[in-house]
Amino acid sequence: MTERMRRRLPVLLVAALGLISLVLPLFLSTTNIEIYVTIGLSTIVVIGLSLLMGFAGQVSLGQAAFYGIGSYTAAILSLHGWSSLEALIAAPIVTAFLAFLIGIPLLRLQGHALAFGTLAVQLIFLAVIPETASLTGGSIGLSGIPSLRIGPLAIGSGRDYAYLVWIVVVAALIVARNLTRSRPGRGLRAMAASVSGASATGVEVVRYRLKDFTLSAAFAGIAGGIYVFFIGYISPDAFPVILSIEFVIMVVVGGIGTVSGALVGAVLVTVISQVLTSLGTNPSLPAQLPTVLSLGVYALVLIVILRLAPAGLVGVLRNLWKKGGAASPSSSRESGGTGVDVVPIGEGTGREVPLLVDEASPGPSTFLAGQ
Amino acid sequence: MTAFVEYLLTGVSRGLVFALLAMGFVLIYRVTRVVNFAQGAFAIFGGFITYSLLRAGVPQGVSELLAVLIAALIGLVFGIITIGGEIPLLASLVITIGLSILSEAIGMLVWGTIPITYSGLAGHDFVLFGAFIQRQYLIVVIASIVVFVVSAYVFGRTYFGKAMSACASNPYAARLSGINVKRMGLIAFMLGGALGGLAGVLITPLSPITYNADVSLAITGFAAAIVGGLTSPGLAVLGGLVFGVAEQLVAGYWSPSNETAVALALLLVLLLWRQSRSLPVGGLE
Repeated sequence: MTERMRRRLPVLLVAALGLISLVLPLFLSTTNIEIYVTIGLSTIVVIGLSLLMGFAGQVSLGQAAFYGIGSYTAAILSLHGWSSLEALIAAPIVTAFLAFLIGIPLLRLQGHALAFGTLAVQLIFLAVIPETASLTGGSIGLSGIPSLRIGPLAIGSGRDYAYLVWIVVVAALIVARNLTRSRPGRGLRAMAASVSGASATGVEVVRYRLKDFTLSAAFAGIAGGIYVFFIGYISPDAFPVILSIEFVIMVVVGGIGTVSGALVGAVLVTVISQVLTSLGTNPSLPAQLPTVLSLGVYALVLIVILRLAPAGLVGVLRNLWKKGGAASPSSSRESGGTGVDVVPIGEGTGREVPLLVDEASPGPSTFLAGQ
Repeated sequence: MTAFVEYLLTGVSRGLVFALLAMGFVLIYRVTRVVNFAQGAFAIFGGFITYSLLRAGVPQGVSELLAVLIAALIGLVFGIITIGGEIPLLASLVITIGLSILSEAIGMLVWGTIPITYSGLAGHDFVLFGAFIQRQYLIVVIASIVVFVVSAYVFGRTYFGKAMSACASNPYAARLSGINVKRMGLIAFMLGGALGGLAGVLITPLSPITYNADVSLAITGFAAAIVGGLTSPGLAVLGGLVFGVAEQLVAGYWSPSNETAVALALLLVLLLWRQSRSLPVGGLE
């Protein structure tokens, strides 16, 4: 393989994937379109969460709450006379604003304490909804949410939503990619490697972290907004704690700190759980067995993937790619050099994510490279 | 007043159970830096196994003890799966989430979906300051205090305990002084399993458990443990007590549906207050 081909292949791969995913909705059945949309929505949330986990080094166990806030915002506004497009645009803005307000005190916490804090936010969100029934419909929820209209364009069918989601996923990917390669992105990555190191080199740790947290909430908010128009009703049951955990699982399975990992993780985890659910609804099986099977298999797949590929699937692919590069004689340090920009801090091992490491432990030596 | 005493005592004993779970979190986290989300699973296994042994005719007391030992073995197995080999910490964390889901599947397969319970050690309920107290609450208090005292002794006075603390404070230096850090990590998982199992054995007679009770137990234990930054057993016990009492008072005087949310909010405020007094930016705990 020549050097040129090696450099072009990822671009071609992305283009091919983009094209396939663009054509795919034309051939999918109604059920599969639903899964397609679900995957897309999860991807949007997970890209945001990945920015928080991989780049700011913080875990949020409450991402489903922001997803829910986005959904409720869009639902309530569209039921109170706003046009559906205005409601959809308001969803990420309101979510981001709330996240910003919550973040000011909450982001004083770090690491596990922050993980707990976000989990508490989610549980409090779930407790507040039933108490505010006049606005949110309580535990019964809200129904009769109009379908989405963008100007003269009515978005009604599953296929329309599939394309809407596709556009938003691409936009989210571009935003995330640009962010991680910009100055704030390098600052965030430096923070993920070492908070004190980053602040010593002039990164405004507190402000960056708050911005990152707000942005990740906005991603969840827009996904939630689309979700509610797609489904047409909303209840707190749609946002359980396990959903937040599932988002974290998607990030880790795909590979922490990589934008493409978010996509891989969301696709894989959603497909696995959908396949298991459809197996589970087979009426010929005894009542409990399907749930047992789906829970068990889901857990086993998760454990096996992480035991075999702790750096996530994208990490594995990237290593294979690097090895292939080393074997070809034409590739030299130069090709390694082109890779630097996309290799996240910690090079996909996840070790350097400071959430779970000692501040004293040696960080990656490259963290100053970007600033 | 009578009601208050009742809420307080119930809260204290439930809080002690949370404290046992929290101590499991702290123990495992200190030695391995892994937050073990499967901590609640040890508790449901503890309760389930005791239930099965009692039904099989094993005498009371022996059943409970056996259940705690089996929970310790489960802890060891979970430890091997979680930290055996070179696994990044975040992956370990998600593996423990996987183990927790797997435990739910096993629990559902073996023990079904109906809540189970058994009567605690036989004996009469008693009256204290006019409040009617179940004997099981007293047993919870005694058992957990014994555990706290024994662990304070082990970790403060014995060679083994000090070796474990050494792993907690500096694994590298501990390894240099000839301590097998990996083995200590596995022992921590085993002890964490026993503590979780004991929590389950104690709480099942008070509130029936189901296969999916592990998540809420884990969240409660984690909430209590985080008060001490996941590293201080003493503060973890305090966190458990605050949580337990707050929960009971809210459930008693306001509404049971709010109990968990209010207790969590209280812990969050406590945590923020604690954090605001230390470094606003800066290092992890």
